[in-house]
Amino acid sequence: MMTWLAHHRQALIATLARMGKAPYATLFAIIAIGVALSLPAGLFVLLQNITRLAADLPAQPEISVFMQQNANDADITVIRQRLQARTDLAGFHFVPRAQALAALSKQAGVSDLTAGLTDNPLPDAWIIVPAQADAQNMARIAAAIRGWPQIAEVRDDSQWAQRLTALLGLGRDLVWVLASLLGAALVAVSGNTIRLQILTRREEIEVSRLIGATDRYIRRPFLYFGVVQGLFGGLIAWLILVVSVLLLDQQASKLAALYASSFHLTGLGLIEVAILLAIAAALGWLGAYLAVNRSLRLIESR
Amino acid sequence: MIRFDAVTKRYPGGHEALSNASFEIASGEMVFLSGHSGAGKSTLLKLIAAIERPTLGTVTVNSQNVGKMRRAAIPYLRRNIGLIFQDHKLLFDRSVMQNVLLPLQIAGFPRHEAAGRARAALDKVGLLKREKANPITLSGGEQQRLCIARAVVSRPSLVLADEPTGNLDADYARDIMDMFKAFNQVGVTLVIASHDENAISAYGSRVIHLEHGALLS
Ligand SMILES: Nc1ncnc2c1ncn2[C@@H]1O[C@H](COP(=O)(O)OP(=O)(O)OP(=O)(O)O)[C@@H](O)[C@H]1O
Ligand SMILES: [Mg+2]
Repeated sequence: MMTWLAHHRQALIATLARMGKAPYATLFAIIAIGVALSLPAGLFVLLQNITRLAADLPAQPEISVFMQQNANDADITVIRQRLQARTDLAGFHFVPRAQALAALSKQAGVSDLTAGLTDNPLPDAWIIVPAQADAQNMARIAAAIRGWPQIAEVRDDSQWAQRLTALLGLGRDLVWVLASLLGAALVAVSGNTIRLQILTRREEIEVSRLIGATDRYIRRPFLYFGVVQGLFGGLIAWLILVVSVLLLDQQASKLAALYASSFHLTGLGLIEVAILLAIAAALGWLGAYLAVNRSLRLIESR
Repeated sequence: MIRFDAVTKRYPGGHEALSNASFEIASGEMVFLSGHSGAGKSTLLKLIAAIERPTLGTVTVNSQNVGKMRRAAIPYLRRNIGLIFQDHKLLFDRSVMQNVLLPLQIAGFPRHEAAGRARAALDKVGLLKREKANPITLSGGEQQRLCIARAVVSRPSLVLADEPTGNLDADYARDIMDMFKAFNQVGVTLVIASHDENAISAYGSRVIHLEHGALLS
C-alpha cells in the first residue's frame, strides 16, 4: 500500500515535470482537447437553457372546446360542473357564441362578412388552461372532454409543445453524436502525444523492463500523463464555457428584458463540471492506455 | 540454483548460438563463462534472465522453468537477478544517482531507504563523488562500475556479469574481481562471462568454456 502510494506520487510529480519540459507541445495538446470538449458541452448548456426557458414561457397552452350548435343552457351547465370537478386544470372560461361573434365582427375586414349573416354560425366555446402544460397531459385532458355530451370539437394546442419536445430531443441526440465524435478525437490527440513521449523514452522503457519493471510500472507515468493532460483540457473547456456564457448573457438578458422576463443564461453546475472533468480524464487515460500497450508490444517484438 | 537441460538456442536467422548445453550452478557458487567472441556467452546469460527463451531444452532458475515463464512473472524473476550488461545500458537522461536508484524505484523501495542504499552501492564502486554527474561524462571504466553498482544495489542473490572488465585496465579489473569475490563471500551466486583467460585462471574458480555454442566444461 505504501509503495503503491509512493509509486503514484512519484509518477504524478514526474508527469508534471515532463509537461514543464515541453510546455508548447503540452499547451497545444491541452487547448486542442479543451476546444474539442467545449463544443458538445456548449451545446449541452444551450439545450439546458432552452429547456428552462420553455418551462416558464409566459404564454400558457390552452385547450379550446366547441359545443354543438344546438346545445342549450342545461348542456352548458353540465359541462361547467364537469370542468369544475376536474383537479388537473389551472382554470377555464366560457365564451358565449354571441360574444365570439361580436369579437369577430370587430376585426377589420371581417365585419362586412358578419353583417350579412342572419344566423350566428359560431358555437359556444370554452377556453381551458391545464395545470401542467406538457403534451401528454394536454392530450389526455382533450381526449376525456371529447367524450362528454354535446361537444362538437376539442382542439388541444399541444402541437407546439410536442414540436419543442421533439426539437429538444433532437438537440440531445446531437450532443451525443458530437460528444462521441469529439471524444474519439480526444482519445486520438491524447494517444498521439503519448506515442511521441514513448518514442523519446524508449531506452528507459527497455532498460526498466530488463531490470524487473512490470508492464504496470512502465504504463503508469504515461497513463498519468494522459489523465493530467485530459484534466487540463477539461478545465480549458470549462473556461471556454464560462467566458462564452458571460459574454452571451449580456445580450440574452437585454433581450429577455424586452419581454419583461428576468431570464439569465446559466453555465454548468458543479456536478456537471465534475462530470466534464471526469470524462476528460477518462478519455485521456484511454488514449494513453491504447498508445502504451501498442508501443510495449512493438518494443517486445524487436 | 541454475540448471540447463539440453538447451539449444537458435536465433531467428537460423544461427545456433547454443547447442545442447547441460550444466548446473549451485547456490553460492562463483562461475566464469569463457570462450571466443561469438561463442554464445551473452546468449547463455540472457537465457538465465529470461531475456531470450530456449529453442529446445529447459532452463531452470530457483526451481522455476524460466523458458516457459509467463510474461507477467518475468519482472519478479529479474528483480532477484543483478544484471551487468556488456553494453552497460545506462540512461544518459539522468544522473549517476538516478541510474542506481532505478531498480529500487521499480521494486518500490521507500524513497529514504532507496537513497541510502544507492549511496552505499556507489561508494562501493568508488563513484560516490560523481553521484550528480551525467553518466555520459564518465570514462568507460567508470560507466562499467556504475553498471555494477546498479546491478547490486537491490542486493540480488544472483549476479550475471557480461564482460564486466572488458573496458578496464588490469588494476581496475582486479579491483572489480575482488569486489565480486566479496559479494560471493556473503553468499551471492555469480556468473561472469569473460574472454580474458588470464584473469579467469588467476581466481581458481570453476570455468564453463564455450566453443561455437558447445559446452567444454
Ligand atoms: N539477437 C540475435 N539475433 C541473431 N543472432 C544473434 C543474436 N544475438 C546473438 N546472435 C549470434 O549468436 C552468436 C552468439 O552470440 P553471443 O552474443 O552469445 O556471443 P558472445 O559469446 O557473448 O560474444 P562476445 O564475446 O563478442 O560478446 C553470435 O554468432 C551472434 O552473432
Ligand atoms: Mg557477449
